Amino acid sequence: MQLVLTVNGTTYEVEARPTARLLDVLRDQLGLTGTKEGCAEGECGACTVIVDGRAVDSCMMLAVQARGKEILTVEGLAQDGELDVLQQKFVEYGAVQCGYCTPGMLMSAKALLMGNPVPSEQDIRVALAGNLCRCTGYTAIVAAVKAASGQDTRPLMEMPVEPGELAAEAVTDPDTLAAACGIVEAETGQPPGGPCSSGGSSEMLGFHSAPEGGE
Amino acid sequence: MTEDLQYVGGNYPVHDVAQKVTGELVYGSDFSVPGMLHAKLILSTIPHGVVKRIDTSRAEALPGVIKVFSHENAPMDGFSRARIHPGQDMSFYDETLFSEHVRFVGDRVAAVVATSRATAEKAAALVEIEYEELPAVLTVDEALAPDAPAIHDGGNLLFEHEIEKGERPDLEGAVVVSSCVSTPRIHHAALEPHVCVAQGHSTGGMTVWTTSQGVYAARTVIAELLGLEYHRVRVIKLPMGGSFGGKTEYIIEPVCAFLAHATRRAVKLLLDREECMIATMVRPATRTTVRTACTPDGRLLDFGAASTLDSGGFAASTPDYSIHMCKKVTKIYRVPHYRHEGRVVYTNTPVGGAARGWGAPEMIAASEVHMDRVAAALRLDPVELRLKNMVEPHDTDLVTGLPLGDARVRECLERGSVAFDWAARRARPAGRGRIRRGVGVAAGAHKNGMYGAFPEASNASLKMNEDGTFVLNASLHDTGCGVVTTMRVIVAEVLGVHPDLVAAGEADTATTPFDYGTYGSRVTYVVGECARIVAEKVKDRLLTAAADLLQEPVERLGVADGAVHVRDDRERAIAYRDIARLSQMRHVPSIAASTTYYAVSNPASYSVQFAEVEVDCATGLVAVTDFLAVADVGRAINRGMVEAQYQGAVQMGIGYALYEHLDVDEKGRAGVDGFKNYHIVNAPDMPDVQVLLVEHEGDDGPFGAKSVGEIATVPTAAAVVNAVNNALGTELGDLPLTPERIIAALHGEEVAACSSC
Amino acid sequence: MTQTQVLTPASLEELVAALAQATPQTRLLAGGTDLVRELRRPVREPDLLVDLTGLAALSEVRLEEGMLHIGALATFTELQWHPLVREHALCLSLAAAQVGSTQIRNAGTIGGNAANASACADGVTALTALGAVVITVDGAGERRTQSLDDVVLGPGRTSLRYDEAILEFAFPPLDAGHRSAFAKIGSRTAVSVARLSVALVVRFDADAGVLSEARVALGAVGERAFRASELEAKLVGRAADDETARLFADGCVAAVEASIPGRYSLPYKRHAAVGLAYDAWNMLALSAPSEPAWT
Repeated sequence: MQLVLTVNGTTYEVEARPTARLLDVLRDQLGLTGTKEGCAEGECGACTVIVDGRAVDSCMMLAVQARGKEILTVEGLAQDGELDVLQQKFVEYGAVQCGYCTPGMLMSAKALLMGNPVPSEQDIRVALAGNLCRCTGYTAIVAAVKAASGQDTRPLMEMPVEPGELAAEAVTDPDTLAAACGIVEAETGQPPGGPCSSGGSSEMLGFHSAPEGGE
Repeated sequence: MTEDLQYVGGNYPVHDVAQKVTGELVYGSDFSVPGMLHAKLILSTIPHGVVKRIDTSRAEALPGVIKVFSHENAPMDGFSRARIHPGQDMSFYDETLFSEHVRFVGDRVAAVVATSRATAEKAAALVEIEYEELPAVLTVDEALAPDAPAIHDGGNLLFEHEIEKGERPDLEGAVVVSSCVSTPRIHHAALEPHVCVAQGHSTGGMTVWTTSQGVYAARTVIAELLGLEYHRVRVIKLPMGGSFGGKTEYIIEPVCAFLAHATRRAVKLLLDREECMIATMVRPATRTTVRTACTPDGRLLDFGAASTLDSGGFAASTPDYSIHMCKKVTKIYRVPHYRHEGRVVYTNTPVGGAARGWGAPEMIAASEVHMDRVAAALRLDPVELRLKNMVEPHDTDLVTGLPLGDARVRECLERGSVAFDWAARRARPAGRGRIRRGVGVAAGAHKNGMYGAFPEASNASLKMNEDGTFVLNASLHDTGCGVVTTMRVIVAEVLGVHPDLVAAGEADTATTPFDYGTYGSRVTYVVGECARIVAEKVKDRLLTAAADLLQEPVERLGVADGAVHVRDDRERAIAYRDIARLSQMRHVPSIAASTTYYAVSNPASYSVQFAEVEVDCATGLVAVTDFLAVADVGRAINRGMVEAQYQGAVQMGIGYALYEHLDVDEKGRAGVDGFKNYHIVNAPDMPDVQVLLVEHEGDDGPFGAKSVGEIATVPTAAAVVNAVNNALGTELGDLPLTPERIIAALHGEEVAACSSC
Repeated sequence: MTQTQVLTPASLEELVAALAQATPQTRLLAGGTDLVRELRRPVREPDLLVDLTGLAALSEVRLEEGMLHIGALATFTELQWHPLVREHALCLSLAAAQVGSTQIRNAGTIGGNAANASACADGVTALTALGAVVITVDGAGERRTQSLDDVVLGPGRTSLRYDEAILEFAFPPLDAGHRSAFAKIGSRTAVSVARLSVALVVRFDADAGVLSEARVALGAVGERAFRASELEAKLVGRAADDETARLFADGCVAAVEASIPGRYSLPYKRHAAVGLAYDAWNMLALSAPSEPAWT
């Protein structure tokens, strides 16, 4: 059947089986695979999304039931390339290991903070009781949610470096570089181009940080 | 090692954290290839029997169904899911892709391949299977009964072993204590279900995408079973949502590969939670009796153990697992005489196999619960008793004969006792009311790779890019706890660049060098040292090149911040990228190195853990109110992630002690089918776990680092059980300590007992 | 194969029209927390799904003509926080708060809880103590009012016909003289199916210093939640003291024993009932907290 769904502010028209779960439509038809399936019975919370402001298990909801509602998934948290404060704190507090529970954790935490901007630790643990994690023991996750609500300011982890940020750090001083270029020229009989043809090196290199995930 | 470290010991998130928090990372379960088919397993519904008839006609008539495979049209050669390299001992080829003789509820009988998952599921329900039922044996005691039906040719006693070391001392006047502890079958509960995608190529070769812990091992099993040359089978590791040992053995990979090979199509096999629970692998159930003799003042004279391990329907890795149970106690305590006999027994229950700690959580539960009984018998404090017997650094392991290395278990216990305020807490009365409080301690030991068992080694290459960034090429298998980051930090430390300027990918048999995989707590200690050495080699090449360019001897040069500098004239520094580009002019197109590293030792890693509990005597529910884990890690490469991994390991151990068990009913069916009835500890029941690191970097790992991931969960359950027994004055030893067991013990009612004690 | 048809009525009239099309293969869908799981592997594909979640009016809670009406589509989250429920049916709010996880409470409805008829349904246990009636409508537009006991028959069994939907529950509101409580024992602190639950409603006559009314419902023992009427009778006329607490606990134990004789779970539940009873009793806050005597 034809369905019109609003996900992360975008309206989609999809053809789906009437008994398709919201989870299936998000993953298989909209390609939004950030929402995970861990148990298919509303126990692990990996599939948590926010529907009209409330956290629900998308494995327990038919897609038809989400018609006309505002659906927010993990893909909709970051705005204009800026991580949501919760995402940021999950990184800074080391709350992510295998990461399979992370999207659901983020959505449960987001729904909590939408209704309760300064939750107690107990509020946080109860809000996350339906999100299982096997890697972290929840300590870092609870701390990250506290931090996102301004209640903890001791981040543990270094944030990953933005591409290009480290580019200018290592610069050969001009005299040393000139001397080195001279040695190469003497050795090869050819003036080395590249780094030697202008005063510095960094601005001309089109430097990029390490590729994600390796080569 | 006293040098200042710039990156080692810092706090780094897992390498793919940005993709994980945005939902962008493609896990195995998210992975697809165009035209991919979907497979659904059909599992035995009876614990023991023979398939008499399979009628696939109704299923195959369904539009979209490609074919149904079973023992009738699939190879029936035996394979071992635990065979990680071709020459491996202890491989039991007792399993086939599909069973004709089914041996447990959950045994694979058939698989449907169809164009969609929904169609495959629908078709699976239409396959009619007729069984001839055979009598089933559901416990090791039933299996070992004289007239028990044989589950495999050769009987139900799969494997027996015995070890005796040291001299039996004079036991005159010794205090003898006996105890028995049983540990449950548990589900690893990685949040991502098991998944595999395989593409059969028209050439007869194939590509397999797996979320397992060893691509070369997967290739061994698949290639041998399908009769393919190894180079035709390419296995690629995908990001995975946890493993905890549950994805260490090759269960669905050979099945999925066969389906893809037979159809010459791409096939995805994604299990559901119930299938993960009953049809993959469980932590095996064990029962261990311990008998010790010690002097009246608490010195161990003799330690004897007898353990029985329930292998379930197939052998998997359980014989080796059982053998390792013998190698734990003598890593912790000096014992003049140690004797251990083990039996591994087939039953008609889900298959046991690899699980985090590989026999250590099971054995440590038995030995450390026992140590508290000894302490009680001698009226000694449990910490005091342990301190009287613990090994010292550089002792030799009585059982393995290997040096224990810079073994700091004693320091862990001493420092932990202070940090936990053990003496004061232990002296506090448990209370007489409804809520009783207690504290417990336990020490655990584990290993660092497989040195001593076979030539433990790893391979790696490292190259510098033209811009001064680096690419490490090694067969890494990150289960989610930061293996890739660990390697990047190690390389970065050697080369003096930020870890984010070092790229490292995961394993791919076509492009990354041979490695055994993430097994046996070997990755940081062995693969990490390999990475360190290859980084040193690249550093040598960089220094050599820089020495020419700077006209300085290598000895005067150092590296830092992405440049080679003259040590006593740091202004004179040449950036790596300039070295790279100038080297290309000098006919050195790439600064790179490869290495093979052979491990030279296998020291022990230790953890001592302290638990405080409150027991509700009315409901039998236990709250773990405080927890301290002390970790002898040698050196933390990534401090934040070591702590985080410990916190998670404690979650698993608390579940092992209190909640988790996968029992079967009288018909052999698992009493659980999902997280609704299989409870892992959730956020409200987890204490904030404190982690205290003991760092002496005295061993041969990179920068002195030792293993973390497995040892972290080894003593947890024992510490919790000891705390409950302290609170209640009980001698509970059957895990998990469910409310039923606690209430029964408190009321002196029939406790589900260790039947062999 | 014909596809399942889905109807999402938005008004009572549309609901009746939808129910008129129902057959024995039709399923009514509310919060989905039980049905959606079942639909993944249906014994038989439903011909028609009537999605009730479009009926906004059915999630209302209101006081009308001396009765508190709880719409069948009210979610557990709504019941947990609704001021009328907290004031006039505290045990229902407390029960709702202990259902499943946040996600399940956000989706699961009280009507679904009753229609699914699990013996462990926390909402049903509370409604039983509150003496609720069930108001339904069928495909002919006929409304019926029945007692909860006549609707919820046993595990998965109700008297509801395939074309009959629960509209709401109604019961006399508790007033300022009442105290009520709900307690449950699961296998962990949060997100656990009840292994034993109790809903307790009492009226305390401050002048006479005695309980003038007592209602006790036990859940997760036996086929469905039930009132422990013998125990209720014993409580009336007693002071709110430790002795009554003990009598209440003993009565709960006796009711558990009578309900599941010989059952595997009895040895545990009969002991746990003591703790459960004291938890519920202390929640009433009629006296200083009581504790069972320990040896």
